[in-house]
Amino acid sequence: MAEYPARYVREHRLRDGRAVTLRPIRPDDAALVREFLTGLSGESRYLRFQKWVHAPSEKLVRFLTDVDHDRHLALVCTTRTENGEKIVGEARYVVEPDERTCELGIAIADDWHRTGIAGLLMQALMTAARARGLASMEGLVLAGNREMLRFVRALGFDARSTPEDPRTVRIVKKL
Amino acid sequence: MKKIWLASYPPGVPPEIGALACPTLNELLARSCRRYRDGIAFQSMGVPMTYDELDRRSRDFAAYLQKSCGLSKGERVAIMLPNVLQYPVALFAALRAGLTVVNVNPLYTASELEHQLADSGAAAIVVLENFAHVLEQALPSTRVRQVVATQLGDLFPPAKRWVVNLAVKHVKRMVPSWRIPGAIGFREALARGATLALDDAGVGSGDVAFLQYTGGTTGRPKGAVLTHGNMAANVEQIAVWSRVTLKEGAETVITALPLYHVFALTTNLLVFIALGGTDVLIANPRDIAGFVAELKKTRFTVITGVNTLFAALLNARGFGEVCTASRGVLKLAVAGGMSVQRAVAERWQEATGVPLTEGYGLTEASPVVCGNPFDAMEFSGKLGLPLPSTEVAIFDESGRELPLGKTGEICVRGPQVMRSYWNSPAETAEAFTRDGWLRTGDLGRMDERGYVEFSERRKDVIVVSGFKAYPAEIEDVAMLHPGVKDAGAVGVPDARSGEAVALFVVRKDPALTAEMLLRHCAGRLTGYKLPQRIEFREQLPKTPIGKILRRQLRDEALRFRG
Repeated sequence: MAEYPARYVREHRLRDGRAVTLRPIRPDDAALVREFLTGLSGESRYLRFQKWVHAPSEKLVRFLTDVDHDRHLALVCTTRTENGEKIVGEARYVVEPDERTCELGIAIADDWHRTGIAGLLMQALMTAARARGLASMEGLVLAGNREMLRFVRALGFDARSTPEDPRTVRIVKKL
Repeated sequence: MKKIWLASYPPGVPPEIGALACPTLNELLARSCRRYRDGIAFQSMGVPMTYDELDRRSRDFAAYLQKSCGLSKGERVAIMLPNVLQYPVALFAALRAGLTVVNVNPLYTASELEHQLADSGAAAIVVLENFAHVLEQALPSTRVRQVVATQLGDLFPPAKRWVVNLAVKHVKRMVPSWRIPGAIGFREALARGATLALDDAGVGSGDVAFLQYTGGTTGRPKGAVLTHGNMAANVEQIAVWSRVTLKEGAETVITALPLYHVFALTTNLLVFIALGGTDVLIANPRDIAGFVAELKKTRFTVITGVNTLFAALLNARGFGEVCTASRGVLKLAVAGGMSVQRAVAERWQEATGVPLTEGYGLTEASPVVCGNPFDAMEFSGKLGLPLPSTEVAIFDESGRELPLGKTGEICVRGPQVMRSYWNSPAETAEAFTRDGWLRTGDLGRMDERGYVEFSERRKDVIVVSGFKAYPAEIEDVAMLHPGVKDAGAVGVPDARSGEAVALFVVRKDPALTAEMLLRHCAGRLTGYKLPQRIEFREQLPKTPIGKILRRQLRDEALRFRG
């Protein structure tokens, strides 16, 4: 496993004045990730996993937190609350076997949409992917998820549905 | 944009419907009740109800809702009835009292019903007694103040009423026991209303006539807000479209599709009220022998249905005699709700001499958007032409209009298009383009004559005999079973219902069987949403970051079938 990539830890101030931290995920984030996923609306969880997900399973939380920071890099966006740190967004990529492309996934807490954190997470994720020498980033988005499609198009992604499956859109960006 | 489809309109169909003579459904009913007083508006199990009776009964029931229940304009009334005479009475009563109708599938389970009643904030409900036990479970978490329970035979003449109600309750035992404090009988409500005055509710075309529920991606149905103006416009659009074939005051339509579904609600009930026709209500078309027996006794000029229904009739014993008797009488057979299979359309035309005329619509458009000309000589395999005052355009993913022949999302503008989804601003915003086009979520193209052709759905939805089932809802229910670790639902082609639900399951409990899981689902999902097939897997196919690959599941389901 690669070392914890502390170079990706960054503090940011959002347009609305709130302070957030972007940092790579850690295995001890399990409780925070569970809380984050549970706090998402059913719709948001559906859009992230493209299926219905109830309370996240142990296995899913382990998959999301116990990453090697190399083939699987995950960044979380956190904020300080009275009860300590809280995850309000996460983005990750997993490198494909071809070692040139990666698949991305992103989820933002429902009440943190349009605050700018999705953009921060994506920019950081793309920077990390470039540094890893990856040539492109790809993802699968439900055709009905217009907010996501608008967002990634603005980031320069090409979005196309395939004739084999018009219900999902393949998004691709050269890094 | 040029309305190229206008050139393909049959002679006599205008490009626009113009200002409506009856801008509300209440005025539409009043006009027909004046013109056709003694004409038969509805018929159920051989019992007729004239326009005059419909007028009086709906007035009485409206007065009951308004005065006795104290419901004020804009409040919601749920109707949970199959196709029986009480349905049009309750419907027009609610509208005359200035209330909004929430149609409920009577076969809903308690949790499905609960969501719809709670979301709509329904203040009253009219329910067939056979389903009252389900309502009883759902009621506590809703704001329903008054329940009106009706027995199947309540609007039949005394002797028949007595026999039917007795048979349903005690012989066939079709009424599970229920107890809802304060519930009142339908006949009692009518009697109370008869002694009360009905105040003019001042209903205008902008008032909401229906919250018509339709599924959302995550399986939580949303209410499409349909105004009197939306519905009256769609009725007029269909009425002018039908002028080439249908005559006012002279038509009889077979209504086998449920009236709680927007297709039958508009095309059968409302359009034939406007035409002064007769609706023959079929309460249970699944009893195909009973259905055919009813058809044998009835002289009908129009029938509407979905592919599944036409196929079932063609396969039914005795339907040949119906076809022989219908030669020269039947004018029109209209299909919607799901894609029509060419084989079914060809068999139908051969058997009846009348082509299946396909239309296209969606709840959000009241529902009809396109129709094939009613004077067509054969099945076209296309969705049809945009109706008068309706615009259809095909857009690509970034919202650019596509040229003729190119496939993209079918988008619609017109007076029949809903205002919004009830209490869902985000979903409403997503449903429309910036220029106010309704996105249908269906992919298709338009040919050089203006005919719209369907290619595929973009939304992740499974259409079973015209009814929508959402994978998320089925997965949700399946995963509530303690023996299930993971579940993925997909639609697979089905000869009878067009599509059927297949469910892939990863077990937590190795002893879990398909039968056990199906029993669990049956208590929580309406019949058409139930998986026709359950398969167990070690895992579900997923992308590296954990998204389910539904396409792969569908392919697996097809391979297994093949």
